[in-house]
Amino acid sequence: MITALKRNPNKIRQGSIIVDIILYTMAIVICLITLYPFYYVIIMSISSPQEVAAMNVFLIPKGFFLGSYELILKDAKMWWAYSNTLIYVTAGAVLNCLMAVLGAYPLTVKNLKGRKWIVVFLLIPMYFGGGLIPTYLLINKLGMYNTMFAVIIPGMVSIWNIILVRTFFTTIPEGLKESAFIDGASHLQLLFKVILPISKPIIAVIAIYSVVGIWNSWFDALVYLPNEKLHPLQMYLYRVVVQQSVDLKTLSLEDTRHAVANMLSSIQLKYAIIVFTTLPVIFTYPFFQKYFIKGALLGSLKE
Amino acid sequence: MKAASPVSKRRGFHWRDHLQLYLIMLPVLAHIFIFSYIPMYGIVIAFQNYYPGKPFLSFGGEIDWVGFQHFIDFFNGPYFVRLMRNTFLLSFYFLIFGFWVPILFALLLNELRTGAFKKFVQTASYLPHFISNVVVAGMVLSFINVDGIINAFVKLFGGSPVALNTEPGYFPAIYTITSIWKAFGWGSILYLAAMSSVDPHLYEAAKIDGANRFKQMLNITLPSIRPTIFILLIFAIGSLLSANSEFILLIYNPMVYETADVIGTYLFREGLLGGNFSSGTAVGLLVSLINFTLLYTANALSRKYSDYALW
Repeated sequence: MITALKRNPNKIRQGSIIVDIILYTMAIVICLITLYPFYYVIIMSISSPQEVAAMNVFLIPKGFFLGSYELILKDAKMWWAYSNTLIYVTAGAVLNCLMAVLGAYPLTVKNLKGRKWIVVFLLIPMYFGGGLIPTYLLINKLGMYNTMFAVIIPGMVSIWNIILVRTFFTTIPEGLKESAFIDGASHLQLLFKVILPISKPIIAVIAIYSVVGIWNSWFDALVYLPNEKLHPLQMYLYRVVVQQSVDLKTLSLEDTRHAVANMLSSIQLKYAIIVFTTLPVIFTYPFFQKYFIKGALLGSLKE
Repeated sequence: MKAASPVSKRRGFHWRDHLQLYLIMLPVLAHIFIFSYIPMYGIVIAFQNYYPGKPFLSFGGEIDWVGFQHFIDFFNGPYFVRLMRNTFLLSFYFLIFGFWVPILFALLLNELRTGAFKKFVQTASYLPHFISNVVVAGMVLSFINVDGIINAFVKLFGGSPVALNTEPGYFPAIYTITSIWKAFGWGSILYLAAMSSVDPHLYEAAKIDGANRFKQMLNITLPSIRPTIFILLIFAIGSLLSANSEFILLIYNPMVYETADVIGTYLFREGLLGGNFSSGTAVGLLVSLINFTLLYTANALSRKYSDYALW
């Protein structure tokens, strides 16, 4: 009896069926509130332009029309921004992982002189910084303004990441390090040949945090990259859906099918581009969310 | 080398170890020095009339020191009250209306049977957290447009369309609702983690004592997350003057500045784009100091009343 209870703690909590119905209804309503905006954007983007313009689409797509996606796929600027984002994401994730590992390892060596001071040095910027303008002036002075470095380099060290990796490293048995030293390994060898291979779980957390963070970031590009050729995807989206400085409809005017383009409402194009650029996140996040949860829980632990 | 006696080889700590470790850390330390500490030094321009091309610091009399003039100008300026009010209110609304949502959501999830449905609800609620601010802003802007879905519903129920995006009165609600929508699911994670550590036997005992589900929730589940609630509340109060200006920047427009313009957005617009580097830095410094004081106070309170503290 007791073991049965242990196996299913929910079982003992079952109350009246009415309570269950209320609870499950609430859960479904919450799901709808969360998911409906996305669903609405998707069905609007594939419905026929007339129905979209008449605001008749609420529950199911009306008609079927992929013209807006066709226009987007032809937009060279969008592909350019897409490839820029891939560069930023790759470089950023690799550098973030590397720097987190390099920063974390020495902090786990108990004998290191000045460790306390280094920790203070690392922690102060978490609570106080120079702010937007002094940083902007610095980036300018370093000659990074309007180069890809301006959005890659400043973000490549995160003290938060260093803390996460350090927390993980301290769980590695001392014996493993001892035996490496006995074999004559240097600290760098120990770090890259012994510790890193068994630290894949935490590296995955850092990599995924970085990838999602950089994929979604736009503000640095707004501040540092006046050159549109360097813009990441989110900046392109910003120009299209927020600033509305790019009118996708003008793109295909020379096209023989410009009649189609004129028929499209700009709102439908915006929805299509939102769907197109967000689908990679929506499809992959059920897989990477567990790493995020791991990171959030690790980070909340008291050191 | 390997032939040497292991015991004597496993020596004390040599200067070589130190050298290696410092070298390993060097890239990180250098980066933090350059990108975090040098901008702190750049704050000196808050007390000057700086313009690009001038040095930050020099003793040749090139620098036009103005003392606290930029701070005084900001206090006496036309936007001071509005900016402080908006920055505070937007954070405050989010705290008042948003803080308890993840708690209730976690309590609700905790009552659902473990299984595919529960997992689905959880996964769905996390989704907005992973969507970029730009996309969320794009969606919100199109929804609140005069011919957007919200007005379509208003018309459906016989109302007349409302100018949601140009009427300042609506902005705080739009910002608050969107922020809660984006954050509540993810915000429930820490509560759920705390709840999962409750011993199932407690519920069993309560049931034997005749406690119904609501009473069990009240007397077992809720106390289990009390420390978490307390800590998160203190830090929410600690960030009362740090409204999400990056998101506001995306959804506001000049017509709603009256209720939407916060210090962060003003700083970006007037300081950076307007080229008022010195006064912008002064405003930034002021906010940094206020935020730091709030956080420090919150941390001190947290240390006193719970065993959790950031430092």
